[in-house]
Amino acid sequence: MSYETIRVWGVLLRLYHWALVISISALAVTGLYINSPWTGTTLEGVAAMPMLAMRNWHFLAACLFSGAVLVRIYLLLFGNRYERLGDLLPVTGRNLRNLFSTLLYYLYLNPNKEERMGHNVLAGMTYLLTLLVALFQVASGFFLRYAESAFWQGLGGAIFGSQQQARFVHHLLMWYFLLFALIHIYLVVWNEVKAPEGIISSIFSGRKFKERQH
Amino acid sequence: MADSDKGNNLGLSLNRRGFIKGCTMVAAAMGLSEAMIPRMVEAAASAKRPPVIWLHFQECTGCTESLLRSSHPDIGRLILEIISLDYHETVMAAAGYQAEKSLHDTLDQYAGKFLCVVEGAIPTKDKGIYCQIGGRPAMEILAEVAPKAAAVIAIGSCASYGGVQAAAPNPTGAVGVRDLVSTTPIINIPGCPPNPVSFMGTVLHYLTFKRLPPTDKLGRPLFAYGRRNHDHCERRAHFDEGRYVEQFGDHGHRNGYCLYKVGCKGPGTFANCPTARFNDVDVWPVSVGHGCIGCTEPNFWDTMTPFYERLPGVKLPGSPVTNVDSAGKTVLGLAAAAVGVHAVVGAVKRIAQCKCSSNSSEEEV
Repeated sequence: MSYETIRVWGVLLRLYHWALVISISALAVTGLYINSPWTGTTLEGVAAMPMLAMRNWHFLAACLFSGAVLVRIYLLLFGNRYERLGDLLPVTGRNLRNLFSTLLYYLYLNPNKEERMGHNVLAGMTYLLTLLVALFQVASGFFLRYAESAFWQGLGGAIFGSQQQARFVHHLLMWYFLLFALIHIYLVVWNEVKAPEGIISSIFSGRKFKERQH
Repeated sequence: MADSDKGNNLGLSLNRRGFIKGCTMVAAAMGLSEAMIPRMVEAAASAKRPPVIWLHFQECTGCTESLLRSSHPDIGRLILEIISLDYHETVMAAAGYQAEKSLHDTLDQYAGKFLCVVEGAIPTKDKGIYCQIGGRPAMEILAEVAPKAAAVIAIGSCASYGGVQAAAPNPTGAVGVRDLVSTTPIINIPGCPPNPVSFMGTVLHYLTFKRLPPTDKLGRPLFAYGRRNHDHCERRAHFDEGRYVEQFGDHGHRNGYCLYKVGCKGPGTFANCPTARFNDVDVWPVSVGHGCIGCTEPNFWDTMTPFYERLPGVKLPGSPVTNVDSAGKTVLGLAAAAVGVHAVVGAVKRIAQCKCSSNSSEEEV
């Protein structure tokens, strides 16, 4: 059995992915600390400034996260054929069929993986939902961070109501990202085990393996 | 102030020096240049006192009580020399028919010129019957008075956003002035009670410049509500340094540490409490060891309670989630369990497959 390599993920998409990995990890840890500081300084005059540091890291990671989200939106419109919106949404017959075949494959009801180089449609829909959640997370974050700005007061006020409600939503959505990370990592490993396309290495190299037709 | 210490607050004992000091303090609170002080003194001392109608609706009179303790200038100076308080149910001398006559005289005589101050929320359910004065619902009185006023000042969180009356389930359908009045400019001075400095500053700004001060998106004057309590709190250094009160009365509490972990809502509350402070004794809740409860924010009763928790059960419309962390942990745990079951099923299937294939033919694996 011989394979050929197909270039699937552009360099921007791979950078986006790893920016998200780094920023979400940093944001979750620092965010949990900011919500409920589990440790603090009780020695006077030490100037360790843990909360200040956590907040600064949180804001830095938030900039990386926001930038990554913008890159993904750009790629949805102008990326390669595997990265664009049309390949992710269950709107064409090909995509709808792939959605159902993927569901059956994941439920062990269909032993054969449909050959598809880009995202399967189930993953594509999940990523779009994640992007939407990310937009709300960015909006609530900037509303909390720049509460004095008239722009964010207008936008944040219209979406979330008060600061406290935005804080609540911001914290609630963090749990979505943890849930996403858990399922995402599991399914990636599961796919790596089940199919020889090299899904894990593809996010480093951008290449996937495809069985040669005889 | 030394001037008000001399005698009765309601007396006319305030001398010119004290009066100018009061104007200066209000100017400082509003962030005005000292060049504006003479104009403010002139406006406040001018013979033409603008009439004010003060309407009480669903309230506890706490805002008026707070105002009675103002000293920059004091209440006596305010109602006898700066404004002409033609109708105020708590402090007016007239009662009954005389009081109502005073209200209507002002409405007729000064239409478009008087200031309307509203204290308390306005019930709207069942045609507003839950708050009536002189046999008329609050809604009707407001609908008559507000359109004729030059401007409406909503004093207190109730008049601004409905306050505690509007807390879920809001049995009387209470709303703030801004939900009912659209034709007249409105300024909100929320707080429970608001600082008299913020109210006086707004009135003196109006008298000096003939217009209301600039506001944020919630209609609050920026000079008083432009920043969050957290950002100029005297305990902010403890926050950054990670020194927190873990529970009331502990080592941190006795040492004046940050009240963040016992539910202080300063980080989400716009007000001037840490800078203006209250009642000439330079205190505000945090300075005496109690967290901010966020009383200047809309729906504070629903979104800031319980007051002693950091991120309490904020009620989102139609959402069953009240405790984010326990909900998040539950969902994450269920997902982890599902992932485990999925992996086990896959492994079992694969082992079964291997056994079957090894039984049938040795070559195909």
